Amino acid sequence: MQDVSNFPLTGLRVVARASGAAAAYAARLLGTMGAETILLEPPGGSPLRREPPYIDGSDGVSALFAYLAAGARSSVCDLATEDGRAAATAMLSEADIFIDDTPLGEREALGLDEAAIARRHPDLIHVSLLPFGAFGPKAGWKAEEINLQHASGEGNLLPNGLSVELFPDRPPVKIYGHFAGLQGGIAAALGALAALWARPELGGQFVDIASQDAALAVGAFAIQRLGDGSIEHRVERSFRYGGVLPCADGHVELLTLEQRQWEGLVKLLGEPEWALDPALSDSLERSRQGPAINAKIREWARVRKVEDIVREGQALSVPLAKYYTPAEVVRDPHEKVRGLFQPVAVDGAGVLDLLVSPFHFDGAPLRLRGGPPALGEYGRAAAGLEA
Amino acid sequence: MAKPLSGIRIADFTVHNAGPFCTHLLSQLGAEVIKVESAMRPDAFRKPHPVYGRMGPATFDQVASTKLSVRLNLKKPEGIALSKRLVAISDIAAESFRPGVVGRLGLGYEALKAVKSDIIMLSVSSSGQVGPDSHFAGYAPLFGAWGGLGEMTGYDDGPPVEMRHVMDHTVGMNAAVAVLAALQRRRATGQGGLVDVSAREVASSLLGEALLLAAAGEEPHRMGNDHQLMAPHGVYPAEGDDRWLSIAVASDTEWQAMAAIIGRAELASDPRFASQAARHANRRELDEILSGWTVTLPADAAAERLQAAGIAAHASWTTPEIAADPHLHARRAIVDVAEPDGKIRAAVGVPMRLSKGAEIGIHRGTPKLGEHEDYVFGELLGMTRAERQALEDSEVIY
Repeated sequence: MQDVSNFPLTGLRVVARASGAAAAYAARLLGTMGAETILLEPPGGSPLRREPPYIDGSDGVSALFAYLAAGARSSVCDLATEDGRAAATAMLSEADIFIDDTPLGEREALGLDEAAIARRHPDLIHVSLLPFGAFGPKAGWKAEEINLQHASGEGNLLPNGLSVELFPDRPPVKIYGHFAGLQGGIAAALGALAALWARPELGGQFVDIASQDAALAVGAFAIQRLGDGSIEHRVERSFRYGGVLPCADGHVELLTLEQRQWEGLVKLLGEPEWALDPALSDSLERSRQGPAINAKIREWARVRKVEDIVREGQALSVPLAKYYTPAEVVRDPHEKVRGLFQPVAVDGAGVLDLLVSPFHFDGAPLRLRGGPPALGEYGRAAAGLEA
Repeated sequence: MAKPLSGIRIADFTVHNAGPFCTHLLSQLGAEVIKVESAMRPDAFRKPHPVYGRMGPATFDQVASTKLSVRLNLKKPEGIALSKRLVAISDIAAESFRPGVVGRLGLGYEALKAVKSDIIMLSVSSSGQVGPDSHFAGYAPLFGAWGGLGEMTGYDDGPPVEMRHVMDHTVGMNAAVAVLAALQRRRATGQGGLVDVSAREVASSLLGEALLLAAAGEEPHRMGNDHQLMAPHGVYPAEGDDRWLSIAVASDTEWQAMAAIIGRAELASDPRFASQAARHANRRELDEILSGWTVTLPADAAAERLQAAGIAAHASWTTPEIAADPHLHARRAIVDVAEPDGKIRAAVGVPMRLSKGAEIGIHRGTPKLGEHEDYVFGELLGMTRAERQALEDSEVIY
């Protein structure tokens, strides 16, 4: 565990007005790396506090808010009032980065438009984070997560493999949770830090992030392949063999891309006669015979336990992974060693393990400053409201 | 005016997708990225990819664009020595070999620190540099499986779903954030550092709320296109074959507007659908009714009508539709790039617009193998032509 005074962004101050997962995640990433992060919430709190899923047995405690706001401070500020706007201005005058997902049409009245912020805070990095961005013909469009996934490509391309084989006529299926929104958050953190790097030369600036753009960027291969002459489709993009394998007690992912991995797989399967067919030593021939190969692999896997397949497969360097449930991730001995989770206090739900960060600095995990903040615990009086 | 990261140099040893996408983002932001490769193990885009119908090298490769290319044979001690000279004039060294490999090559963090005391080293791997599984090889579908995202994605009555290249690139974008944070610390303290990005943990980071539920003793399960509260919420058939429309109704007001739009105003006050809880309880019935309307309209037209009424909706776009979209072009989220023969094709831009500085994004195509050795070996490292020739002859620059 590291000392927070030496985290990469220690000394930096971030203010975020976040009603959605994207903006909150941008602040969360920066905060976990050491920035002091303050959520600027309206009276009554950010709508994120009321977003599902809720923790069972609690009185509607949002697991999403707990995850995204962990380690942040909370300040209540009513931007509909002059006092509230003055308090926000005071807070922003001490901030390095401001992240805002207020819809475009509401910004000016709240004093949050690009020009007003730039005038009052010339050194501030002002990050706007909206589903379709702050510029362009669709800047005013609304989107929930499911719309973002379908506006950015991956929505139309899932499911693939076994799932689309089983249910070819169903509508495409979304990636769990807030996949596209969080891409917006990651891009916002990237944009904020890039602009911050240039601040000594350029001063503050406006960073316009669209979750649609970010989700599209991580789907870059679909555009790459379009240029190469093929259009991806959820049915055809399946690997010819391998993929999701139903086993006796769960699912395994199998993916062999290299020759030696195929050879390992043949050993794992017990060197059955069909697999020793010399024609199958050619990867193109294997692709051609993919469905037949897969039928054999599935037949083999169906009666075996995940743990046995994974253990024997890894020993033969066959790329295999168990489809872990969330509970298995939380209990994973590998992640225990890496300190992926940290117990934090979640008001109304007790002390719970929460994911910290997917990266380590200098050989050690980062550390959250705490759980999600109580509404207005920071600077309530300063915001012109009674404590 | 310059791009934001202008003046930052990256020695890029990354391979496959996640690492190269990280340095691709940084190169578009202005960093000078020197891609270290070799004819001995050509990058995937330099080889045919028959699975995707590409029978020769890619004429344009998104993640290699804007990078410089040099050849270096890391199997030779002189290749390692030259790599260190490159690192010594760089701000960042990036790699994505299996954990342990760079150490064995003599390019581990301590070795790099010895030649550049404030170097920032980025290591991207499937399970991180330490931990019992750190030696596991992995690809995107495996990260998704280990991380829990695959299990949580899919129809509630179906199997888990394989995550594809979006998973790799998400890892790359996370890595770019972490590297810029390390750079920020270097500016503040003079200290470099080691950044260890674990791909499976990036997958897990996309479902932190579900992991928290699990930590509280619950067993969250995949739920298809459903939302815990919203209804209608899902993907509905539109006019035409395999055409779909995504819709999410977040409030009673939106539902009332929708009922009028679909010509069923009486449903707004129907007790089965009058409140969010009622709509959610009767969502399958509602899906049926809504599908009867969506199937009569082109997906884009239906989305526009719903958006005009303040309802979140978007067509389920195919790749060609995305590549042609005026909004994405206006934002340079999609850009036109030229192939060597002048043919224009679409590429993905860097996902941000900055109000100051030079225009960010792709400004060069795919480098030829070793294209920039005159600049890198000659100008930057001051090597003579004879010196370079000798290393080429001994297959060090190879």
